[in-house]
Amino acid sequence: MSGTKFFMNFPVTETSHLLDAYTARGGYQALAKALQMQPADVTKEVSAGGILGHGGAAFPAGRKWGVVKLNDGEPHYVCMNADEGEPGTFKDRWLLEHVPHMCLEGLIIGSFALMGRHAFIYIRGEFDLPYRRMAAAIEEAYANNLLGENILGSGYSCDVVLYRGAGSYVCGEASAMLASLEGKKGWPRNRPPRLTVKGLYQKPTVVNNVETLANIPVIIGRGAAEFKKVGTPKSPGTQMISISGHIARPGVYEVEYGYSWEKFIYEDCGGMQDGAALKCIIPGGVSTKLLSAKELEGLTLDHISAVAGGSQLGSGGMMAIAEATCMVRVAQVIQRFYHHESCGQCTPCREGMGWMERILDRIVAGHGRMEDIERLYEIGEANDGTTICSLGDSAGYANTAILDHYREEFEYYITNGRSMYDGRLTVSDPFASALAGAGARG
Amino acid sequence: MEFFIDGVPMQAEDGQTVIQAARANGVDIPHFCWHPELSVPGNCRICMVEVEQEKGDPWFDIACNMPVTEGMRVLLHSEKIVRLRKQTMQFITLNHPVDCGICNKSGECTLQDFHYAHNGQASLSRDAKTHATKFFPLSDRIMLDNERCIMCTLCVRFTNEVSQSKALCAVNRGDHALIRPAEDANFDNDQYSDNVIDLCPVGALLSRQLLDHARVWYLQPTRSVCPGCERGCSIDIWHRKPEWALRALDPRLNTRIDRVTPHENPEVNGLWVCNKARDLAALFERPRATQATLGGAATDLATATASAARLIAAARHPVALVSSWGSNEELAAFATALAPHVQPFVKADHLPLPGEVVEDHLLIKPDKNPNRRAALALFPALPGTLAEAITPQTDLVLVWGEGFDGSAVPAGARVIRLDAYADPVQAQADVFIPVSIQTERSGHYTNFAGVVSPFTACFAPAAGIAHAEELFRAIGLALAPAVAGALTGPAA
Ligand code: SF4
Ligand code: SF4
Ligand code: SF4
Ligand code: FES
Repeated sequence: MSGTKFFMNFPVTETSHLLDAYTARGGYQALAKALQMQPADVTKEVSAGGILGHGGAAFPAGRKWGVVKLNDGEPHYVCMNADEGEPGTFKDRWLLEHVPHMCLEGLIIGSFALMGRHAFIYIRGEFDLPYRRMAAAIEEAYANNLLGENILGSGYSCDVVLYRGAGSYVCGEASAMLASLEGKKGWPRNRPPRLTVKGLYQKPTVVNNVETLANIPVIIGRGAAEFKKVGTPKSPGTQMISISGHIARPGVYEVEYGYSWEKFIYEDCGGMQDGAALKCIIPGGVSTKLLSAKELEGLTLDHISAVAGGSQLGSGGMMAIAEATCMVRVAQVIQRFYHHESCGQCTPCREGMGWMERILDRIVAGHGRMEDIERLYEIGEANDGTTICSLGDSAGYANTAILDHYREEFEYYITNGRSMYDGRLTVSDPFASALAGAGARG
Repeated sequence: MEFFIDGVPMQAEDGQTVIQAARANGVDIPHFCWHPELSVPGNCRICMVEVEQEKGDPWFDIACNMPVTEGMRVLLHSEKIVRLRKQTMQFITLNHPVDCGICNKSGECTLQDFHYAHNGQASLSRDAKTHATKFFPLSDRIMLDNERCIMCTLCVRFTNEVSQSKALCAVNRGDHALIRPAEDANFDNDQYSDNVIDLCPVGALLSRQLLDHARVWYLQPTRSVCPGCERGCSIDIWHRKPEWALRALDPRLNTRIDRVTPHENPEVNGLWVCNKARDLAALFERPRATQATLGGAATDLATATASAARLIAAARHPVALVSSWGSNEELAAFATALAPHVQPFVKADHLPLPGEVVEDHLLIKPDKNPNRRAALALFPALPGTLAEAITPQTDLVLVWGEGFDGSAVPAGARVIRLDAYADPVQAQADVFIPVSIQTERSGHYTNFAGVVSPFTACFAPAAGIAHAEELFRAIGLALAPAVAGALTGPAA
């Protein structure tokens, strides 16, 4: 049992995402409550709740809101980052599909706290059902005076713009997202200025992850003190986790922070497929450093523990990799992704991503050289903290972590021109026996 | 406020970035994508610097986007920065073809300079380079070599922020990113397009005029003024250095304008010029008039000058049409030597051509003559119509420069023409004297706002061509005794 659940605490049915079902579960009471408060007090409450952002960086959400000066005479914008694109991460999708109103409620409360007149949802283009559900939720909200003019008679008015991205990973990066919203090429921007100073249309803007916003009604509804009772003191609340890879029961889970990591993997998720042994975990999307099965021992699912273990919880997109998987191939697959998604704006990432992929491709093709290992480290280092957004360094970390842990696999591959594990990426091949019967396999 | 670069104290103004403050103090931080007049994308990453922190680890950031703070201690040559710059140069040359030997930018290429200064090592890559379009015609004037492009986006930002044509954009991602014309725009319509050739730090944007015609180390710049309009932009005219003069081939190549670039002048044109300046070669290299004539028959300069003086002295109602392309010096000489003897009017030598942009938001001004303001300060403008200036009584018309069709000259009136370019009507003049053009003389123009800018001779005029300034003095000298001591009879 992974503890309290804020989101996955009702039976999912064909209608459970609709407004009626949501209000029947107590939905929009937090909004009504917030609208009775002073905007600054809403932010104070969120800060007191201690919630850390759920998009990956785990920055305190209340502090982000608190930076915006309410009386600066500028329009303020809140933007929901629903461009979930980190490989392995698909937990926001569950929220958007099943509790779209909860996400929306959080967005409206956030917008009220920042005295914004317009709020935005930037949703990943490939998310079709989530998009339709969110669009329908917005319609329902307008029809029931939860959006638009004079919400619930409070005098506060807010319009929400739902914007569909065109499918670029980097548009999930907050500044690229705003550039894309403005109709420009989705290129990340340099900070300073911070987005809370000059964001969308050069106005103070807060970009929050879907799950972060979905937590807001919980914090306001229950009160910060109650909220803090869930999870750990430094990581209050729960975390949505999407787990995939060689895991017996992949899917989306909600766990209370502080829950045993091993228990989660081996009990809740049923351990590895086919009873294989765990080789390593990529904790929070491929941008976070992997943890070997050994390193996982004793860790709990919360930010402090993950960092102490040498990684991060990131976006909650967990991948489990079983023994006998070829880590050279894993590195290659990850790098192919980064190469494909580098926006091409800044030099180290634009050139480095392709270089790393070409080196890995060559190693996999059996033409590796020992010096390639050093080169991969160097390219990673040259991207560390030198790029506009963190795509460049993330790719470096991902590679470096694999090299640190499994260097001998690379050396073996280079020396022998082939993989220690036959280049395997799967635990078992459901078609293997059939194909073997047909003589298709050597 | 005070800050430090490599331990040396320097002064900075509030709001300056490290790169700006460093430049103001004479320290140049390497940069590709930063430009003083354009927005800061911070994409090339060559300007990374280290900032020492009072406590804790040093901070690394790009100098072009980092504001200076009081007491900030910036390091340009720390071990880490030197290594980072080297790595950045390794990246920049990774997929660049490094075909410097045949690249038209060679000799002026920032990438080449920085490679030597900050890397100097062969590529560490053992893998094939990615290839891109080698020759992509971006416009009738500009060729794009995508392989050489380092995606600094200077060209894109120029068209967005300065020329405002929004004609260029970046397409694709990662190391497949390319500069391309924007779908709904035409770079041919950008009157300032050629500035991107200068802006491009590498040989990716190439002038189709210069491509394969000359290499920069054969050339030298001479400061000049664009005569294309009353803005009078400061320019450099590039031509062959004397030590590289060709003896064989066509010797005219030695007196050819190989290219024109802006000469930075904050008072007039800042860092830019419009394409008209780039096309000065075509304007100046039209067929020239080289022979003085009397009634169409060849003569020498001295005879022609004396004849002109006689005609003027003999005339009762002489009118002169003064060139608005004359330099301040020439106009002054005219005013002193000839104005007492003729009724002068300033004429427009050039009017806007059909389809030409008459005026815009940036530099282009409606009057297509470089020195009309100075001319008007000395002489009256032509009245509404030519017929009001040239009346039936007019018995002599002196025409200096282009832009006069001759039909208004009353029958029987004598005509003196001074012109630089060949025109059949010259044969009908009583006296014709070929004069030098701007590239053959030195002088000054005064632009519409009263700013005076110099131009310097690049080439010597051919034998038989007069400098108007000297010519006016000579005619003036000849006139003095002629006028003083009664008339010596009709002119030849
Ligand atoms: S790090 Fe990569 S993705 Fe991020 S801005 Fe630079 S090139 Fe684009
Ligand atoms: S073409 Fe030249 S100016 Fe334009 S982005 Fe490429 S390198 Fe920069
Ligand atoms: S704006 Fe006028 S003076 Fe300047 S380059 Fe263009 S035509 Fe020449
Ligand atoms: S000059 Fe600063 S990043 Fe390019």
